[in-house]
Amino acid sequence: MSAPLLEVADLTIGFRAYGTQRRILHGVSLTVGEGERVSLIGQSGSGKTVTMRTIIGTLPMPPGVVEGGAIRYDGRSLLDLSRQERNRLKGTGISIILQDPMLSFNPVLTVGRQMDDIVRFADIREGRTRPRAERRAHIVETLWKVQLPEGDRILGSYPMMLSGGMRQRVLIGMALLNKPRLLIADEPGTALDVTTQAEILALLNRLVAEEGLSLLLITHNLGVVREMADRVYVMEKGRIVEEGTRATVFANPVHPYTRRLMEAVPPLYGLGVRTVTNLRESRAPAIEADGAGKAFLTRGGWFNQVTGRFQAVNDVSLKIMPGDIFGIAGESGSGKTTLAKMMLGLIKPTSGILEVEGRAVSALAGTEEFRKLIQIVYQNPGSSLNPRRTVADQLAVPLKFTGHETAGIGRRIGELLEMVDLPADYANMYPHELSGGQKQRVAIARALSVRPRILVLDEPTSALDVLVQSTVIDLLHRLREELDLTYVFISHDLSLMRNFCNRVAVMLRGEVVEQGAVAEIFDAPRHPYTRALLSAIPVISEQEEALKPQVTKQERAAVLATSTALGGH
Amino acid sequence: MSALPDGDGPLSPTRSMTARQMARWRFTRNPSAMIGAFIVLSVFVAAIFAPWLAPSPESAGSFVDFRNRHAPPSWDNPMGTDNVGRDILSRVLYGYRVSLGLVVGVLGVAVPLGVVLGLCAGYFGGWIETGIMRFTDVMLALPPLAMALAITAVLSPNLVNAMIAITLLWWTWHTRLIYRIVKAQMNEDYVEAAKVAGATHRHILFRELLPNCIPAIAVKSSLDAGFVILFGASLSFLGLGIQPPTPDLGTMVATGSEYMPDMWWQAVMPGLAILYAILGFNLLGDGLRDMLDVEL
Amino acid sequence: MLPYLIRRALSLFFVLLGLAVLIFVIARIVPGDPARIALGPLATADQVAQLRAEMGLDEPFLVQLWTYLSGLAQGDLGKSLLTSRPVRDDIMAALPATLELVLFTVVLQIALSIPLGVLAAVYRNTWIDNVTRVISLIGVVTPGFVLAIMLQLLAAYYFGFFPVTGRIDPSLGFSADITGLLIVDGAIAGRWDVVGDALRHLMLPALALSAAGIGQVMRITRAAMIEVSSRDFIEASRAYGIPERVVTFRYMLRVASVAPLTILGLEFASLIGNAFIVEFVFSWPGIASYGVRTILQKDLNAVIGVVLVSGVFFVVANLVIDTILGLLDPRHRLRAKGGE
Repeated sequence: MSAPLLEVADLTIGFRAYGTQRRILHGVSLTVGEGERVSLIGQSGSGKTVTMRTIIGTLPMPPGVVEGGAIRYDGRSLLDLSRQERNRLKGTGISIILQDPMLSFNPVLTVGRQMDDIVRFADIREGRTRPRAERRAHIVETLWKVQLPEGDRILGSYPMMLSGGMRQRVLIGMALLNKPRLLIADEPGTALDVTTQAEILALLNRLVAEEGLSLLLITHNLGVVREMADRVYVMEKGRIVEEGTRATVFANPVHPYTRRLMEAVPPLYGLGVRTVTNLRESRAPAIEADGAGKAFLTRGGWFNQVTGRFQAVNDVSLKIMPGDIFGIAGESGSGKTTLAKMMLGLIKPTSGILEVEGRAVSALAGTEEFRKLIQIVYQNPGSSLNPRRTVADQLAVPLKFTGHETAGIGRRIGELLEMVDLPADYANMYPHELSGGQKQRVAIARALSVRPRILVLDEPTSALDVLVQSTVIDLLHRLREELDLTYVFISHDLSLMRNFCNRVAVMLRGEVVEQGAVAEIFDAPRHPYTRALLSAIPVISEQEEALKPQVTKQERAAVLATSTALGGH
Repeated sequence: MSALPDGDGPLSPTRSMTARQMARWRFTRNPSAMIGAFIVLSVFVAAIFAPWLAPSPESAGSFVDFRNRHAPPSWDNPMGTDNVGRDILSRVLYGYRVSLGLVVGVLGVAVPLGVVLGLCAGYFGGWIETGIMRFTDVMLALPPLAMALAITAVLSPNLVNAMIAITLLWWTWHTRLIYRIVKAQMNEDYVEAAKVAGATHRHILFRELLPNCIPAIAVKSSLDAGFVILFGASLSFLGLGIQPPTPDLGTMVATGSEYMPDMWWQAVMPGLAILYAILGFNLLGDGLRDMLDVEL
Repeated sequence: MLPYLIRRALSLFFVLLGLAVLIFVIARIVPGDPARIALGPLATADQVAQLRAEMGLDEPFLVQLWTYLSGLAQGDLGKSLLTSRPVRDDIMAALPATLELVLFTVVLQIALSIPLGVLAAVYRNTWIDNVTRVISLIGVVTPGFVLAIMLQLLAAYYFGFFPVTGRIDPSLGFSADITGLLIVDGAIAGRWDVVGDALRHLMLPALALSAAGIGQVMRITRAAMIEVSSRDFIEASRAYGIPERVVTFRYMLRVASVAPLTILGLEFASLIGNAFIVEFVFSWPGIASYGVRTILQKDLNAVIGVVLVSGVFFVVANLVIDTILGLLDPRHRLRAKGGE
């Protein structure tokens, strides 16, 4: 093998902060060959982003300090280049796609202006001159490559006027404008819905092949890696702990950390799948929705008058039995969270009926009795816990307002912490002193403090790393057994639902398109949207890939809005 | 903080310290905060212990010593004497009593009022929000110094009326600040979580939301204290604040400026005294801002 | 853009209307009889009663408010007790002086504070940052009147180049009849000596008036620049090879300038308020020094007029700033569409 295009050798980076220097990268080495697709896998805090920034040359120094090692690109040592020479490689030699397509654009400049700047300054550095029209033609052509045919309209738009999928495409186009040889992509598509993500990943793969690019993909998602990489590196706490071809690492992970990562990913199909059942026998449903709907009025114009209606939830009927783990699946904007908040009485339905244990939510909401019936755990514990109140303060709130005698509150808090496996002395801590998983345990404890029978779980693990996610899921299973709970589980993560829920409803644009026992829905999805959703999920083994349902192009087009054309936004 | 490693993983440098330790650490290593705290402390000491610290406590009143008038700074009169022979240092020390009295009086009323209105506007929304915020919008268009001048002029100039005039105009800034913070906090799930838990409005306003406003209130109040002193001094500079013979720094500058530049100390010394106090509160406010990491 | 501006103008009109009502209410609920206040303690009861009738104080409150507002709509601000002339004429005569001072001050503030703030942010934690920080601190903590007196003193005794009172040297024999602004009219007339003299007169009052704002806007610019510099799109621009100079001035400053401009607008009332002191010290013949004189004489009609005109200043300034923000940041225009 000839010299690789990119070679990171023994890179050691420290951070100077608050008067001390800590080492962030410990001798990281990796290579990316010409035309090769390489993935760097790691959870948050593993140092993968620092590695990327050092390669591209945007790591702020200070506080960053290179303590040792080298980065060679095309035979040249990047860390020894003059600033000018280094800058010449930016965008032209090495280019990046940052994680969040919204945040990667300057919000106050048009897309066209931003793209033109990139081309123009590269021209200046290369000593070329091209007239404006020629640059524009080049940009429009590049947008074609990322399947955006309406180049002219896009260039005149501000970033916020584009949909998420389009922004991601434009962003890829931006990275490709100056024909780089190496593309570094940081979690591409992660911020998008799974069906859009699938389109983006397919696009990236095609571009890499057609343009002869080398790709360094930085991600935490093993499913994405399986579709996108020839070779992989696994990173933990600033060290590369495992490397190898994709096939060997996925088939035979050696390092315990890699193995734990693989095991923590819930399988979508195959032998590893765990099917949950509800053994409780009861005839009366815990929650029943009959034609429930919610329309929001949109306001605007001169006098803030009503200008339209937006049907967030439309004619939803379902029965959730006691002991169920009922999954409500859907992508962003599907209405799943609105439906959950209607169950909690936080949003009043505009049509239909919602009942909890046979009694209308509208009549019960706000009463003490209702609070002892149903509670909620939010998606992001960083937001659902008050940053300025101690764990004990927050656990005491529901107790205080639900008629718990004051004397027993302290004892109950102790019980609750024990229930979620947290040490008792955490009671006096503030949320920021806890890790993400610990915070979510506190949030679960708070929801359980008044002994509700039903718990609404609004994406309770999506803000957590996959390793932490599995421990929280285990906790939820245990609590359900111990406390005879019924769960309503809102999520976009179908792999997780397959293993956690016993029944599931799939929502699309406010409507439930399919519902039933989890095994039936996953093994024989009837609705094309469910099939499209399932087939878009990145999985980590060939067996699972083979078991995914098939969707035809027509079916897909019928149910999914594409991210290539300017829609109604 | 783009420079720090992603997430709150084990690599974050803050993990080993608690927030309180961290804040104290940042404060003590922030020279401007330390200097500010020292100045503010010294001003309070000067005001409280003025009768014991002043070389000539009788100078605080309508004391006259014509033999010793217009004396330049010396060992006996470190800041010189004024046009009737009173010791300026003594008058400055007593003048701080008036300034700090004004600060306590104004902020003691304006801050709670502004904060409560801001909390209500941000939390309740609807017509309460519209009513309160439209009213503050109108108040913002009033030139504060001109209004305070007009109010004291009509009510007859003295310390209490100056306090009332400044208070009437001051609360709006706190209302706006708290309103903005509360509006941002309303997007956080903990407010809804408290509602689901059955918490009363009062609990949510004062136990959940208020603690999240405290850092901003502390910073703003510290910066405000300096501006209130400035404001009071400006009023009395125009003759509409505290009336003689009560020693007031603004009045002293106004009277002293007639003897400029030959007897410069009469205007400059009280002027510097005002500056010193305002500087202290400003540095302290800045230090608190860095320490508590708030944006105003 | 146009509907956005019309909407903003409309809402600012309501601010103005509210202001007029508020001032009127304050003037009426303040304890004491306006006629008695105006005439002083020595006037007889008959004199007071006569003035009361003249001022319409015997009418019911709402009738008074209506008379006042409808007069206002026709530009009638009543008569000044101090000068015995219509308040409107007094204000119109004094307005250009204040306008010139305030405009020049704002230009000075923007021209000094934003570049210094950018400089401090780009070279943060170096000596440049420290120097600008000290400058901003001095500006913020020095009381306007102390600064005004100091500047006057320095100018009068150490460098006589800057005049310490008035707007223009009367020996130049120039009267500004077109816009009332000496610099503009002088330039139109080709009288560069007038322009120069007017600028020399303006310098010290404008410096005294702008100091506080310069300090504050500088700080806010610095903070905003630092905040924007850590955003993803700045890293992206750098990684795509946009030169640092362009990243700073086109990509960062444009986003960061929203905060200092907003503050400039909000603090405009304070600026006008401080003008009361500065005009007074420098004997500047503007509406603020007219305001101080009428306040000291308890001339209620004139005081109401001056405060209202200050309110108009505030409203117009904010409309201008809204326009600039709308041009700088498309989100401003779209957000104001409502519905959010």
